[in-house]
Amino acid sequence: MSDTPPRRPRILTEADDAPAQRLDFGWEQAVAPVAKPRASRRWSALGLAAAGLAVLLVGLSVLDVANFVTDQFARADWLGWVTLAVALLGFGLIAWAVLRELRGLWALEAVDAARAAFARNDYVAARAATLAWAARVPAASPSVNALRGANDLDSLRALLEAGPLAELDRATTAAGRVAAAQAVGATVVMPTPALDAVFFVWRGFRLVREVAAIHGLRPGIAGTFGLLRRALFEAGAVAAADVAIDAATQFVATHPLVKTAIGESGKGAVAARRMILLARAAARACRILPSS
Amino acid sequence: MRLAVTGLSRAGKTVFLTSLVANLLAAGQGARTLPAVEAAVGGRLRGARIVPAETQSTPRFDASGHLLALASDPPRWPERTEDLSTLEIALEIEPRSFLGKARGMLAGNRSVTLELLDYPGEWLLDLPMLNQSYADWSRETLARLRRGRRAQAAAAFLAFVDALPAGAPAEESLARQGFSLYRDALRTCRDTLGFRFLQPGRALNPGPRGEAPLLWFFPLPERVTGELAPLLRRRHEAYLDDQRSSFFDPFFRRFHRQAVLVDALGALHAGEEAFDDTAAALAAVAASLRGGLGLFDLLTGQGVRRVGFAATKADHVPSRSRDALLGLLGDLVGRDPAGPLDATTSVHAIAAIRCTEDDVATLEGRPVSVVRGVLMEGGVMRKVYPGEVPLRRPDAAFWEHAFFEMPVFQPPRLDGAGRAGIPHLGLDALLAQLIGDLL
Repeated sequence: MSDTPPRRPRILTEADDAPAQRLDFGWEQAVAPVAKPRASRRWSALGLAAAGLAVLLVGLSVLDVANFVTDQFARADWLGWVTLAVALLGFGLIAWAVLRELRGLWALEAVDAARAAFARNDYVAARAATLAWAARVPAASPSVNALRGANDLDSLRALLEAGPLAELDRATTAAGRVAAAQAVGATVVMPTPALDAVFFVWRGFRLVREVAAIHGLRPGIAGTFGLLRRALFEAGAVAAADVAIDAATQFVATHPLVKTAIGESGKGAVAARRMILLARAAARACRILPSS
Repeated sequence: MRLAVTGLSRAGKTVFLTSLVANLLAAGQGARTLPAVEAAVGGRLRGARIVPAETQSTPRFDASGHLLALASDPPRWPERTEDLSTLEIALEIEPRSFLGKARGMLAGNRSVTLELLDYPGEWLLDLPMLNQSYADWSRETLARLRRGRRAQAAAAFLAFVDALPAGAPAEESLARQGFSLYRDALRTCRDTLGFRFLQPGRALNPGPRGEAPLLWFFPLPERVTGELAPLLRRRHEAYLDDQRSSFFDPFFRRFHRQAVLVDALGALHAGEEAFDDTAAALAAVAASLRGGLGLFDLLTGQGVRRVGFAATKADHVPSRSRDALLGLLGDLVGRDPAGPLDATTSVHAIAAIRCTEDDVATLEGRPVSVVRGVLMEGGVMRKVYPGEVPLRRPDAAFWEHAFFEMPVFQPPRLDGAGRAGIPHLGLDALLAQLIGDLL
């Protein structure tokens, strides 16, 4: 370039006077979100050992059963067919159970995906996830048409909160109350604290499954454990909000003077409160919308 | 947190706000439209959304409407802004500190609300008027009008005021005729000569309420002492009171950060007088904005803390000239050292919508950097040599060439839904400087 460029600004004439296409800087590609590289998952020693054990158990049992079926066919054809039918029925039931577990886990993943779509304001993904969710939740069926007509994310969110989610929250509260009443009763009738603990674990487990079912999920054992893990995480937020009430209940229920007066029912009040808390935490974990 | 986007007329405030809103919303969805803001936030921006309207009486800034018009075929640039409008954008930000994260578990992510204001740029020049008496304003305005090309544009008005007798009565027809001539002179100065230091702002752009009697004043020579002078002085005072109570106090003063947009290149191309006029207008506005925070403001967190001056339409010069544009803006704004309580200022070169790309052409036998874009008129592709951009106010020899009006370019291909934001230059750096410390 020259050191002394011409000073006068001007439009340069060109031979081509044909209308031109608008400029395209490739902006959409340049600013497209970059997916974070997936962290390579390394198997822990315990995981490797567990996987090996599972392969051995399943593989060897399949081989063993196959050998056994072959032997039975060698003895008599009808014996072979009956053994094969029994083996297929047994393995079929196990496969069915595994499939149900996977479906339960997949439903939880779908809830996570919908929540993520709402969180990143991705209207298209959030709408698709909402409609899929509404198809399997009975409480959402009256709102399906309205949800289908929502043409932005805020409308979708408002319709969900006001319609099906409000209904589900009411059902969750009712389930929590029933569990809480049973917890009070159990505290009074259970002969030992150890049995109390067993009852609470069982009832808590059942409550989480009930809340999941209210939200259209059918978690299996693995799914329920996954849900429990999430519910424990969500319980942090719920419990923190309730900490003052909880502390007051604890204080009143365990105060020596009050304890003398009300006996074991004080412990029951604490247990009931925890059931309600667990129901709310489980509901937060199952909601299709991130809790506000 | 309130961010005011101010600027002289035709500086590109509406386009700036449209681009800002589109790029923030896209960034909230994970698009990398504002990398400098992303860096300032440390990748913690989790969402951005327009805050739903409630019961505001101020019109709402129609960002999606402007974007659709820009993306449509043929594209349309926004019309001149005639009224105030506001919009709020809530940015959802993941807390950084441990305590913030603990709080976030209870109350969710932190939300920073940006309140944006669009208004007619002509009104900004009323800001320096607020501290002037009618006599001072009249003296300074008439002195300016009698200089150079302004005098030609205002010849009819100047002849009128010079012919007024010293004892001019408070006659309504006189006041109306004087105002009408004065307003015509201001319009010619703005539309034909490219001047910006034109007061009062509502004489040029009366806003939605239209022309009211309090506008019917004009600068009067000191020798006119008849009944007309007190009438015009009362209207001047009433006008300032009205602007203060309906615009500056409720909207302007309560902002925390200011982006001041300047079409520095347009001023340069409009000739020496227009350039000096823009410089004077900007210096007056900058002085008003820099006014310094009071101790009360400092304690209560009120007042404008950061001001970012931005030379808009930076895509009208090739990238190698943008540093010079930045230097020129710094020179225009003035480099007075800021006091300890004064707002922090910075200068930027931005293009809210990038409409051109760099190219090379041969001029007078020399290769020169040019910009290339599709013109609005005719839709043809043209290379434009924007001329030399000086680092500071140029010397007399620079102004030898004739007045040049930069052609209007078509915006690039855009997604009307705004999913990918709008291509820009430097918008992110300006925004990061203005609000980065709050994110």
